[in-house]
Amino acid sequence: MSSSDLDPYRLPPYADSAHAWLLHEAVDHLWPWSQRGFRHHKWVLAIGLVLALAVSMVWVLAGLGRMTAGAVIGWWAGWSVFEIVIRMYSKPYIKEGPWWQRHYRPASIMDMLCYVSFKNLLVGAALFVGLKTLGLLQM
Amino acid sequence: MLMLMFASAVYANSYEAPLPAELSTDPDLCAYVPCGDVIAGADSFSERKGKPTYVEAYRSKKGDHGKIDDHESNGDSQEGGNHHGDKNDDRELIGYVFLSTDIVDIPAYSGKPVVTLIGMDTKGIITGAKVLRHSEPILLLGIPEGELTKFIKQYVGKFVGDKIEIGKPREGQSYIGLDAITGATVTVVAQNQVMMRCGVQIARQVGILKPTIRPQAKFTELAKSPTWDDLVTEGGVQRLLVKREDVGLEATGTPYLDLWFGYLNQPTLGRAILGKSNYESLMTRLKPDEHAIFIIRTGGGESFKGSGFVRGGIYDRIQVAQEMDTFTFRDLDYLNLYGIEAAGAPAFNESAIFIIRSKSFSAAYPWKLVFLANKMDKSTGHRTFTSFDAESWLPDAYLQGGRPVVIVPEPTWLRIWKDKAWGIVAFTALLLLIGTVYAKRDWLVRRCTRKNKYWVDGFKYFGWIASIGFVGFAMMAQPSITQVLTWFHALLFHWEWELFLTDPFIFIFWWFIIITVFIWGRGLFCGWLCPFGSLSELLYKMGGWVGLKRFQFLLPERIHHQLKWLKYAIFYGLLAVSFFSMGLAEKLAEVEPFKTTFLVGIFNRAWPYTLFVAILLGLSIFTERPFCKYLCPLGAALAIPTTFRWFGLKRKPACTTCSACAKGCGSLAINPKGEIDQRECMLCLDCMVMYYDEHACPPLSQERKRRERAGLPLTPVGADGHYIPIMPLPAEEKR
Repeated sequence: MSSSDLDPYRLPPYADSAHAWLLHEAVDHLWPWSQRGFRHHKWVLAIGLVLALAVSMVWVLAGLGRMTAGAVIGWWAGWSVFEIVIRMYSKPYIKEGPWWQRHYRPASIMDMLCYVSFKNLLVGAALFVGLKTLGLLQM
Repeated sequence: MLMLMFASAVYANSYEAPLPAELSTDPDLCAYVPCGDVIAGADSFSERKGKPTYVEAYRSKKGDHGKIDDHESNGDSQEGGNHHGDKNDDRELIGYVFLSTDIVDIPAYSGKPVVTLIGMDTKGIITGAKVLRHSEPILLLGIPEGELTKFIKQYVGKFVGDKIEIGKPREGQSYIGLDAITGATVTVVAQNQVMMRCGVQIARQVGILKPTIRPQAKFTELAKSPTWDDLVTEGGVQRLLVKREDVGLEATGTPYLDLWFGYLNQPTLGRAILGKSNYESLMTRLKPDEHAIFIIRTGGGESFKGSGFVRGGIYDRIQVAQEMDTFTFRDLDYLNLYGIEAAGAPAFNESAIFIIRSKSFSAAYPWKLVFLANKMDKSTGHRTFTSFDAESWLPDAYLQGGRPVVIVPEPTWLRIWKDKAWGIVAFTALLLLIGTVYAKRDWLVRRCTRKNKYWVDGFKYFGWIASIGFVGFAMMAQPSITQVLTWFHALLFHWEWELFLTDPFIFIFWWFIIITVFIWGRGLFCGWLCPFGSLSELLYKMGGWVGLKRFQFLLPERIHHQLKWLKYAIFYGLLAVSFFSMGLAEKLAEVEPFKTTFLVGIFNRAWPYTLFVAILLGLSIFTERPFCKYLCPLGAALAIPTTFRWFGLKRKPACTTCSACAKGCGSLAINPKGEIDQRECMLCLDCMVMYYDEHACPPLSQERKRRERAGLPLTPVGADGHYIPIMPLPAEEKR
């Protein structure tokens, strides 16, 4: 399947201005759900929402200095596995080519695993190092 | 699991060896560690004494060689206080024994220190050293631990005041060179610092090394009366902040200790802090070569004075350091500080004025206030010594003629870079050459045909040979998954750029890998520059050249597509294990044959490792890169970001129905739909050669034949892999 075979409804919306582009990029990376996904797989995505709330709470607790590093890593890894499932149901595509361009292709499970694990590694590392620098995370 | 069994068979003795919790705190150090092993002839040892601590080693004079516990007071032995000929007449002092982690806090490659017991005689000659515990992954399995023991033995007989470096001694300079451990440069560089700094500190303390006499500062008296904020801005007052988590305690939002300190002899500074009359009074009390500093605590509940001075008359939490000299304080060096005159000074709940009584100290040069603490290891509950410091140096305006020129010793990593400058230049040139060649791949492949790929193969074979011989065997710069795991470990425990900079080839290589993976994918490293990958593929090519082509095979697609997941499972497995045990992850990372092949040598390791490498390389003769395709965790780690590489290889619409490229793809990276799996692709460029080859690429070949039959000209092949069409221009445009 080539990128031209992609269902256009599954592609994230884009605006012309840089601000809107950045906003939509952020939403696309940080919000794994889509309306279309909810229509067809509402239970899986609803469970995902609950899990996302839980993992957000874990990061907040870590930010308050009440969560150990091991627990945060465990929760984050668990969430990452579930995010792959959610994205395969709601946003089953990944970017093709440079990140600043707007070419997408349908994602295989391996594509999605690579995308989610790499994205969450970066997000997790940024949060982890940030909290550690602020002295809020216990090692 | 097999690797784990191998690992257990040759498990290193001191790798993560459990040490008694009391080791860093109990006065009787030698009750826990074999002090006698590092100083021959000693039959009794004192309790810990001094700051930093050491024990004295004695030999009985009257033939009584039984151990005598010495329970002298844990008093101070101030600098200059030599203990030759102790009060016990029946035994003689023959040297000193000290624990490295009592003195310095220098992490090795793992981010954790190598705990070393060191012995030194009364003349400052190292008599022995013993590694009690280390966390160095490379010494776990890759390099026998005996190499570290051998390395440390090189210090025996050396004077602690000598300048000792790793590597060849530099001509014209009085340095002694020590042989490094091949493949463990970072570890030995850190260990050299540990050995030398510990030796010098104890030798200074017991009077073996003479103190450095520094020219004293001449102060400028300024008319202004600076406020507290002015003093902080100018640098006349400095802050030393220790967070609770820095000492292994739970963060509560309040610091463990928040100290402000400064030098008081400088008139402008002293008057601003103490007020005119108090300053004059203090100066009248000070003799020449005596210096006063003040310390206040503005936050945290921990006392910087501690309680050591009550028992032994010494302040055991605070000291001043100037280069390698340390200055400790006794109760007689303490004066009360009741208030700070400078406007805007913060409220404080502990304060002190300390007197430094030494010619060695000079306020003209930078100095540090050092806070000594015990850090708790949360996993074991053990306490280890750690220190925190903040530098102070009088501002230019407070010194006549400004600050003197201070020659800062060259950092170790910089010296290593300089020593290996030519190698680094050659290595960087190789990387740039291969990177540039690949960037110009379109130009190269257009000059090749399926039967004649000299342009591409010439550079590729050069890259392989250079990576095997120069990068792998000579520079030992084979990247490994263990480095990724070590970074992770260092990020969590103790990240030090300097440690990674001490291995310049690996450092440069990783930057190259990170950049190129995002631009082109992992194939440029894996397919062109990985030493083991190159060796593996070169063996495959050589097998073909010597007549083994008929025995060479590719696994059936179905099996290949199942087996290729194995490397990802290995990578994720290692990553998961590393969360729980870095040591175990490092052991399991022996699935990489890199250490055996390049770092240690095939014939220098236990037979299971040699057999493993032999099997992999043997298989490589018959099938292309079996390790890279199915086992390599590093390849899997790099394949993940390869999903997002910016520039992939070209495809034409006809590729979806034509599988000609797929038939010749040694990496089996092209599926029946003609799509390239960039994660598996080694960027060999064979498919790109075909893409432009009008006699090999079926769609292009058909187009050629159609054109020839129709009598149309064969124009150059465009970027889309088809002949560039001749488009007649409209008549107006022609004009």
